[in-house]
This record gives sequence, structure tokens and C-alpha cells, in this order.
Amino acid sequence: MSTADYKDRQFLAVIGDEDSVTGLLLAGIGHVTAPPDSQKNFLVVDNKTDNATIEAAFERFTTQRKDIGIVLINQHIADRIRHRVDTYTQAFPTILEIPSKDHPYDPEKDSVLRRVRRLFGE
Amino acid sequence: MAASDKPVTDVGALTEHIDSLLERYLSLLDEYTKLRASLSELQSRVYQNIARANFSAERGVRYGQDLYDQRMQSLKRLVITVDDNNTPSYKIVPVTVIVQEETPVQTLEPTEKPSDGTTAEGIDASNEKEEKKKTTRSRDPLKWFGILTPMPLRQAQSQAVEAVEQIIPRLASVDAEMVDVEIQVRRARKKRAKAEAAVEKAQEAQGLEKAGTHEAAAALPSPSPPPSEVEV
Repeated sequence: MSTADYKDRQFLAVIGDEDSVTGLLLAGIGHVTAPPDSQKNFLVVDNKTDNATIEAAFERFTTQRKDIGIVLINQHIADRIRHRVDTYTQAFPTILEIPSKDHPYDPEKDSVLRRVRRLFGE
Repeated sequence: MAASDKPVTDVGALTEHIDSLLERYLSLLDEYTKLRASLSELQSRVYQNIARANFSAERGVRYGQDLYDQRMQSLKRLVITVDDNNTPSYKIVPVTVIVQEETPVQTLEPTEKPSDGTTAEGIDASNEKEEKKKTTRSRDPLKWFGILTPMPLRQAQSQAVEAVEQIIPRLASVDAEMVDVEIQVRRARKKRAKAEAAVEKAQEAQGLEKAGTHEAAAALPSPSPPPSEVEV
């Protein structure tokens, strides 16, 4: 792993429902790059957001942008692009699934706990 | 861990090595589970507080994306360090700490475009000044929602800050450490399987050898031909 892989990764990114994003932006992680690109590091997902948009944001945060170190995504939104999230294997950025207001954290879906089960041969 | 550094070859030692790795893995899992619980707790409090703020807000006002500052700049920086095992560790550093240290130099603001800004040093200096200018402006996200923001929203902010600064980077670090230990466990298990196979093979060979000598010893004293041949 070379230093170039991670040294510029200084932002977090969020894909979440409005309250999840509002909460995390209140903490000061929101960032919009300089114009004309004006790229945001967050995506607010509601009922009208289609899966292609979520997938595109996931792709942008994980593959295209080299300045993001952690991608936070609501677990219920990760479920909508589960195939994409589960086949993601890069070291950077790392993906963390977080609970949302209407969907509490479900350990059954947690990728770390699924890895634990695999290690112990279940 | 000292045990994991030296190469171990015999089955017993390898089993011990795997056990010590699993012990470490379980303590990491314990930490992960606790961090998950704290994150869930903190976030549910953030959501409750946002809901309370929205409930008491003026008609038509919702503390959400319509009020976000479209030119927002991050107040937190993620710092990633990688240890010798290639395991990354994550840390969140508030940008405000740097701002406080730099505020006295604020007076140089107007010379934003120096005439001799073509040299690398000049560009660096102007960038630094620009950054200082930007950071001294209040960037508190609470300000997006008005000057007099309700108490619940402030509480939501402090809880979100705790989640972002304390829990999230640690969760990511523990996850990375767990991945590293998983790889080590799998490697050690493979090694042990190989060592076991080698021991079995050696035992088999030894057994055959012994059987061979027994047969030879048994064959020597009897001068008569083997029974099968007699039957034929």
C-alpha cells in the first residue's frame, strides 16, 4: 500500500436520508469543492431517489473521488444497492453502514459480523 | 504481539498462535460491538433532537437540506495512518484547532492576488492566506438554520460531533484491524493444515516402513512359499 493511496483522503462522505445527512453535516463534515465542479460529499436519499442515483453516488465516492476516506451509508439504503456494497473490496475508502431514524441498526446485515461468522465456520 | 512475529512451524505451536490471534480478534469484536451500540445510541438521540427542533420550528420551516449552505467547507479532516502491517488507522481532526492557531495573521487578507504570485512560494503564501481568510469566517453549520437556533438542534450537533470524532473513526480502525487479524488467522490455519498433513505423511511413511520390516522379518524364518502361491 503506497502513501499516495490514502494521504489525500481527508473527507468523509454520506449517503443517507435527510435527518442522517443533516445530523452529520451539523457535525461539520459537509464539503462542497470549488466551482465549477462544486462536488458535494453527500447525497440525500428519499422515496423518490432511484437506485441508479444511489449507485452513481456510491461509485463517485468510492472510485472517482480520491479525497474521501470513509463513506457512511444508511444500512437501509445500502440494502438497495446491496450487490454493489457487498462486492466492494477496495481498502480505501472504507464503507461504514450506519442506522437511520426509521431503520435501527441490524447486526444480521452488518458486513463485519458476517465476516466474523465466516471466520468461525458458520 | 511477540508470538506472531516469529515463524512457527510445529502443529502445537501453530494452534497456540491461532488461539492467541482469535483471542485478539474477539477483543476487537467486543470493542466493535460496543462502538456500534454507542453509535446507535448517539444517532437515535441526534434524530430525536432534530425531530424536536422541527416540531417546535415556525410553520413551514424544516431543518433539512433546503437550508444547507451550498458552499459549505468541511470543519473536520480525516487523517489516515498505516502501520507496518498495512493496517490503516483513522482519526478525525477538527479544522477549528488549526484556525485558532492561525487567527493572528488575519490582517494580511487584502493582498489576495500578489503581483509576484507567479513563483511557487508566492502561490503557496497566497493560498495560505486565502485559507486563513476562509477559516476565520464563521462556518458553524448551525448558522445555516438561522441566528437563533433551537436548543435541540444544538444538542443534536454536539451528539453528532461526538459520533463523528469519537465513534466513527474508531469503528473504521477496528474494522481494518479485524480484517488484518482475519488474514493472519487464515494464513496460520493453512500453515497448520500443511504441518498436520506433513506429520500424517511422515507417520504413514514410518508405519509403512515398520510394516515393511515386520513383513520382512516374518518372511525370513519361514522358508515355505506364501499361502496364496500354495493355493494356486
